Amino acid sequence: MESLKTERLGCLNVSKVACDHCHLEFDEGVMIEEGAHRFCCKGCQGVFHLLQTEGLDSFYEKLGDAKLAPPTQQFESSDNFDTPAFYERFVTHNDEGFCEVSLIIEGIHCAACVWLNEKALHRLDGVIEADINFTTNKARIVWSDETIKLSRIIDTIRAIGYDAFPYDPSLQEQRANRERKDYYLRMAVAGFALMNMMSISFAQYHGYFSGIEGDIVTILNMGEWVLSTPVLLYSGWVFFRGAYYGLRNQVVNMDLLVATGAVTTYMYSIYITAMKLGEAYFDSVTMIIAFVLFGKFLEVLSRKNAADTLDVITKYVPSEVMVVENGEMRSVKVSEVRIDDVVALRAGEKAALDGIVTEGEGSMDESSLTGESVPIYKTALSSIISGSVSIDAALRYRVTRDFAHSTLSHLMALLENAMRRKPRIEELANRISERFSSTILLLALLTFVGWYFWPHDFNTALMVGVSVIIIACPCALALATPVATLVGLGLGAKRGILFKAAAQLETLSQIDTVVFDKTGSLTEGRFGVCAQWLEDERDAAVIYAMAKLSKHPVSKGVARALEAYDRHLSVDGFEEIAALGVRAHYEGCELIGGNARHLAAYGIKTPPLERSAFYVGSEGKLLAWFELEDTIKSDAPEALEYFRKAGIQIRMLTGDHEAAARRVASSLGIEQFAYEQRPEAKEALVAALQAEGKKVMMVGDGINDILALSRADIGISMGQGSDIAIEVSDVVLLHDSLASLIEAHQIAKTTYRLIRQNLGLSLIYNAITIPLAMAGYIIPLVAAASMSLSSILVVLNSMRIRYSWRR
Amino acid sequence: MDSWVIALMLGASIFLGGLALIAFLWGIKSGQFDDEKKFLNQARFDGDDDLQEAAEQERKKETLKKRSYKPE
Repeated sequence: MESLKTERLGCLNVSKVACDHCHLEFDEGVMIEEGAHRFCCKGCQGVFHLLQTEGLDSFYEKLGDAKLAPPTQQFESSDNFDTPAFYERFVTHNDEGFCEVSLIIEGIHCAACVWLNEKALHRLDGVIEADINFTTNKARIVWSDETIKLSRIIDTIRAIGYDAFPYDPSLQEQRANRERKDYYLRMAVAGFALMNMMSISFAQYHGYFSGIEGDIVTILNMGEWVLSTPVLLYSGWVFFRGAYYGLRNQVVNMDLLVATGAVTTYMYSIYITAMKLGEAYFDSVTMIIAFVLFGKFLEVLSRKNAADTLDVITKYVPSEVMVVENGEMRSVKVSEVRIDDVVALRAGEKAALDGIVTEGEGSMDESSLTGESVPIYKTALSSIISGSVSIDAALRYRVTRDFAHSTLSHLMALLENAMRRKPRIEELANRISERFSSTILLLALLTFVGWYFWPHDFNTALMVGVSVIIIACPCALALATPVATLVGLGLGAKRGILFKAAAQLETLSQIDTVVFDKTGSLTEGRFGVCAQWLEDERDAAVIYAMAKLSKHPVSKGVARALEAYDRHLSVDGFEEIAALGVRAHYEGCELIGGNARHLAAYGIKTPPLERSAFYVGSEGKLLAWFELEDTIKSDAPEALEYFRKAGIQIRMLTGDHEAAARRVASSLGIEQFAYEQRPEAKEALVAALQAEGKKVMMVGDGINDILALSRADIGISMGQGSDIAIEVSDVVLLHDSLASLIEAHQIAKTTYRLIRQNLGLSLIYNAITIPLAMAGYIIPLVAAASMSLSSILVVLNSMRIRYSWRR
Repeated sequence: MDSWVIALMLGASIFLGGLALIAFLWGIKSGQFDDEKKFLNQARFDGDDDLQEAAEQERKKETLKKRSYKPE
């Protein structure tokens, strides 16, 4: 242990020096010295030399004083980037016959990083285009496959200290971006016309009061006509489309009212201009379309695409497995694997099929399927569930069920079903607008008929009829919900709460039952140290350096607990021994960490511990022990108290066994809980609650929760949860905390109140102005002014909430 | 002032404004506003070298295209 002690003394010398590559500052003692240069680690040193020899050292000039993260050293092999399976999934071929892939580059901090990556890639022979988006860190790379392999490109990115992951750009995001861009274009046209038209209208209305020549009015009308035409035909196209689909489904929607209003007003204005009857209503046409388009745009910004969910689910399943046949490995599509084939599973991989272990051993993580928090040790004849992840197990298993009948496929099939049966609460605004639209159209018709037969000429009758439609045109109504939900979504996003669709704010505000999953939702879902003993606290840095290299959840838990002792030490010869623990060397002495069995093999005696234990020893002596358990989240009691006070029923579901469930339930005071629940049982319970007329919110994070999450009125998942759970849920809590669950509920309630206020405001507004319009008191000026005024009222009311929340 | 002057001014300004609008729409469509950070920051590194590199890249693409071209 002498060597460890000298290290401790070395740490006392505290003068901070910056690394020449990453610019992070460390104690001088730990730096690698090389001539005039100093580096914090081998990674930085390597990258620095590479950039020197490649002549890319002007990077440091461009970098300035910015700090980088030191490059990661442990990469998996880049060979899998060259497999046919990878190509099929991520690589496309463009028109010119070149390959194209989209990557996410990790580690980009500044413009200099973008510059360096693009430069380095451009220097590779065969790379034709490398375009990196600085804002999103996404890169598009085009290369000629005959000259260079993708793995070589990835290796280059890694060599200069960054890492790259593939992603499929054809998904949701790109489609959403395209739609958003389309709306930008339409809004740009409407905005341009609206602004110019205001100045023309100003002249007209000024002239209305102070006198204006008839032909000037006509010229101004013509100008407005030119400006409003593209707005009606291009920007307003969305409403015609919406009205058409509405009519096909026999629904009178808001789009129909807007479309009718805009077209009749436009036609009538042309008539006024041609007949020289005074001021036209072109400004109202533009304003209606611009305002309601803006409302629609806000909706588009916050919409979720259901179809994409299934894409992600199919991706979750590994597409190929390694089948062992006559001693040879061969990659086979999962759907083509037959029963009794033997499949090899490497450490870190996900099992695609169900089976029985024939060879090898190690721990498997089944927590996201069964809810069991402790990793399960598998040896020959243990069963493997598809979807479980190997932590350190390298084994071979004999397939017992083909892919179509595997646990995972079964779950996916059930999921599609559950998603279809999810109850949809119709939005308040939709319910109102449908009735509102038909009422207004009817009133306008009645007004026209009334005025025409109450002896007036056709012209006056038409004008009054049209003015009813214009005044009622639902600018405020169309803005009421989107503006309110945007405020709600914004409040949520700032606090790490992502609502996938605006409508979910309304649904969430009305729930009366909340169902929690145990593992990962009420508890941390990972091991935390609850008791520990160290012979000498100064050994912590070395134990941390060893524990952080391990993939096992127990070692990871220890590493997290010791994070504060990080001194950037590194151990040599690190080795992970399946089901036992880890072994490493530090400055000549051997360190052993793991369970009692592992340490006993080295002749080290260990005290018995109640829960999962991690012992560390060296040279026949015990240095430290840690006791770990799946700890309850610190904010769980507070969250449960909040829901109890709000009169919301609380239930807990778990796939874990009874003892673990009872421990958590009793310490949190949950009376109704169920344990050893299969995914289908969880969904059934949610469905049963819904059948009682309850509105159910489900909080979960694992694959075993996805059925219940998608079935519940509102599914909430934790940001650390599995990809599928995040995908099928409606709300994601990025901070992983239950305190943000409280906030999510409060935000939803506030937003719903705001929506009702806004709708009320615009309806009251119409109740006053429509009778006036029917009585024939509305002139173009009043119509235009009232339309803006009602919209401003709604927006101001929404802003009020925003400010009251900020305080 | 004759009313045709107003008509002319109105027409000219709408026309010019329209040109600006079209340029803006083209900008959105061709993705020039997609990455605001790079747009602003990379301007600092602009210079002969980058121009040279862009030309080099273009040449590389041409040669690769010729090489991979196989007559039927």
